[in-house]
Amino acid sequence: MPPAIGYVIVGAVLFALGLVGFLTRRNLIVIFLCTEVMFQGVVLNAVAFARWHHHLEGQAYALFLLVIAAVEAGLALGLLMLLYRRRDTLDADTWSLMRG
Amino acid sequence: MTSSNAYVLYLVFALGGAAIYFLLPRTGPSKTAIGAALGVSALVGLLAVSGMKGSAGGSGGLYFYLFAAIGILAAARVITHPKLVYSAIYFVAVVVAVAALLVFQEAEFLAVALVIIYAGAILVTYLFVIMLAQQPGSPIYDRRTREPFLAVLVGFILMATIAGRIREFPAQSVEKGLLTGGDSGTVSTASLPVGNTVAVGAAVMTRHLVALELSGVLLLLAMVGAIALSRKRVTSDALRPPHRALGQIGKEAEPF
Repeated sequence: MPPAIGYVIVGAVLFALGLVGFLTRRNLIVIFLCTEVMFQGVVLNAVAFARWHHHLEGQAYALFLLVIAAVEAGLALGLLMLLYRRRDTLDADTWSLMRG
Repeated sequence: MTSSNAYVLYLVFALGGAAIYFLLPRTGPSKTAIGAALGVSALVGLLAVSGMKGSAGGSGGLYFYLFAAIGILAAARVITHPKLVYSAIYFVAVVVAVAALLVFQEAEFLAVALVIIYAGAILVTYLFVIMLAQQPGSPIYDRRTREPFLAVLVGFILMATIAGRIREFPAQSVEKGLLTGGDSGTVSTASLPVGNTVAVGAAVMTRHLVALELSGVLLLLAMVGAIALSRKRVTSDALRPPHRALGQIGKEAEPF
């Protein structure tokens, strides 16, 4: 059994927990926190496989993931403030006009 | 991984899913005791399976279990805590635990960067927004969740799919990687005389230079976008001082 598999499983569990929270929570800020939890799982996975393959591609990839996470957080929080000012609530169900 | 281990994993994920289902905020009588008991047993089972046959060995050992447990418990609290600020604080615990796991994976630079960027910058931004947008008391959308059973089911299916594929995880690294073939571009974590930071820096600055420049542009665009999104509309009337006749300036102020 390869040494990386424990880390891969922990990364997968973090991703799944973030996914469950993303699907079920109604607070917009918690929803974005859940995407960050998913990012943590992906970073852990990328680094574990980088170690396993004995090269640094995974770590470089994880570094760019951090950049994407920072960009996503900045834009998402700006968007959240905009939405909060319009409706005075953080409830995601307020914005369900396009629901089928 | 043998097939019996995979079945144990299915059981563990089912237990964990049930734990999350009971722990999610709900309006009726709270069932956190059941959820906590299920969650702890699922966590113990998961760590036992993932650490079996020394699979965590060589890198971390006991500390792997410690930080994996902290990370998973904190992540569970992030998605189940009814209070927003606590969710954000638990997320800091997730970040610190993942950073510790990265240290065991010889990714010291990434571990430090993760703590600085996430716990230092992103979380502070989150806390600012939470303070700006928080409502008094505990609003109904924090105390009730949307379709918790279906969401947990989706998570369980995802984890079960991954666990089913784990059996096919090859026992050792078959491809030696593009970079360890002994050519000029050899950058390997195994035989580095220099530190991890230098190695990652060299990898990023040589083979991923275009991506690096693009991510700089992306950050700049995000900054412009965030400013454009969060500005307020200011009418031109509000900028102009109110018009007063020459002799009336200061007349409306109350004297001492």
